Amino acid sequence: MLLEAQHLTKTFGDHVAVNAVDLQIEKGSFTALLGPNGAGKSTTMNMLIGLLQPTAGQVTYDHDPKLGVVFQGSVLDDILTVRENLQIRAGQYRHVPADRVAILSQQLGLTTFMSQRYGTLSGGQRRRVDIARALINEPDVLFLDEPTTGLDIQTRLAIWTLIQRLQRNRNLTVILTTHYLDEADAADKVIIIDHGRVLAQGTATEIKNRYAADKLTLISPDVAQLATRVTQKPLRRTADQLIFSLPTMQAALDILTANRSLISNFEFRPGTMDDAFLALTGKEMR
Amino acid sequence: MLAMIKRNLLLYFRDRSGVFFSLLGALISFVLYLVFLKKNMLTSWHQMPDAKVLLDTWLIGGTLAITSITTTLSSMALMVTDKEKHIVADLELTDAGPTRLFTSYLLSAAVIGALMQLAMFVIMWGGFYLTDGLTLSVTAVLNTLGLMVTSSLLAVVVNAAIVQGIHTVDSLGKLGTIVGTAAGFLVGTYIPIGTLPNFAQGMVKFIPGSYVAALYRQFLMDDKLKTAFSGNVAARNTFDRLMGVRLNWSTLLTQQETYLIMGLIFSGAVILVFGVEWLRLQRRRRVVREQ
Repeated sequence: MLLEAQHLTKTFGDHVAVNAVDLQIEKGSFTALLGPNGAGKSTTMNMLIGLLQPTAGQVTYDHDPKLGVVFQGSVLDDILTVRENLQIRAGQYRHVPADRVAILSQQLGLTTFMSQRYGTLSGGQRRRVDIARALINEPDVLFLDEPTTGLDIQTRLAIWTLIQRLQRNRNLTVILTTHYLDEADAADKVIIIDHGRVLAQGTATEIKNRYAADKLTLISPDVAQLATRVTQKPLRRTADQLIFSLPTMQAALDILTANRSLISNFEFRPGTMDDAFLALTGKEMR
Repeated sequence: MLAMIKRNLLLYFRDRSGVFFSLLGALISFVLYLVFLKKNMLTSWHQMPDAKVLLDTWLIGGTLAITSITTTLSSMALMVTDKEKHIVADLELTDAGPTRLFTSYLLSAAVIGALMQLAMFVIMWGGFYLTDGLTLSVTAVLNTLGLMVTSSLLAVVVNAAIVQGIHTVDSLGKLGTIVGTAAGFLVGTYIPIGTLPNFAQGMVKFIPGSYVAALYRQFLMDDKLKTAFSGNVAARNTFDRLMGVRLNWSTLLTQQETYLIMGLIFSGAVILVFGVEWLRLQRRRRVVREQ
């Protein structure tokens, strides 16, 4: 294990932000910390980075790692150009080769706006610069705190592809927080956090299988008869539709084959991360 | 650390309007002085030879002392902004380390303070050269330039001791207003120290900037005072005491003594400022080790 957190706890006064969280991160893995606003994701991440001291518990790395961090807010200077920003940060590390910034700007596609002021960039361009900044010291672990929040769908996709490419090509360990559930689908490991507790962890498929029910919608000319023939109680019933929530695809198949003649059409939707997430964290806003 | 100092200076000087208003802040008191107070003071000096240029140099000295205080204070806003916007977290991830980061804020503030004093000096001397034909000897100018560096270093550490306790840019701005308003009186730039009530005189002597102002006046006025008083020691002493050219403890301070006092204040402030910083770091490390 590259990184292990045991019983990580952080309290702010009476408020428990993170409550006895246990985590294991493997080298070269891609981990998504998923949770609603105020779940304790950022606090957990800050403790893993070492920016925040845990109230209890500990974080252990298997060696002294080089860390790269993309913060939620901008930490670069608006009135300096992209090049100045990156060169200055590079100058603050001890063993960064002189051509590092140039290479990074090539790799992350920053060359067209290197001389532009950071403050004048679009959200997606800024994010790429932020990521370049985090990669200056060739980190072993890259932390990203909500890297795609507030970006349009194309940019989100581009940033996401970029992070995945970095993970593969450099064998980088990536840990990120997000509240976009579809993004978590692509991670090796998903950790769902709420109220400072880990509610579930595993691969996206595991979590969906475990916590997200599949949905089967049957359209029938004779809904009443169909309802009597299926032992399962429907989730919802309309004039021509029956909707079931089922634990597995197999159960859906059974219903479909047994009642073939009564079904004019159907829709099967496997459980999504959204379903798993809502099932785990509840529906109330906060 | 050099990268960091470069960043701080770039951020300060690229904000042109910020630099302009910082200069204007120092200039405004100077201009107001010329408009409202100069005439009044000149009438009381009418029997002095070269009264005009003497008053000019006296004013330059005091204004430079104010500049050293206000510009270093406002340039330390960056330290507070970085804290407030969590930029410090990113900076501390680098190999620079917190103490070096802190030192680089102080050094860049000192560079800014010296450069702004230089700018003010050029503006004021230029102005008085045109209006009153003020000239200065090479020695006077060299001494003045040297003092710009010393005075900004002193102002930086003294200000840092105060700024360490401030965590928002908003409150720093308010502090800046207070200091900017009070500085002119506290270092005896607007009103000669000798005409102040005893309590106020005591207060002036507590302000490090007063010693800076006194040294500036000594450097800039000495030639002209020598001719004006031509060996009349008693009269010269009275003048020095009245105008704050030399500050009075039990006797009038010599240049060496003034430097010594400044050195002591500087060392004290350095110990205080870095001591507080060190304690802060120790506390953080201890928390880490206890885990």
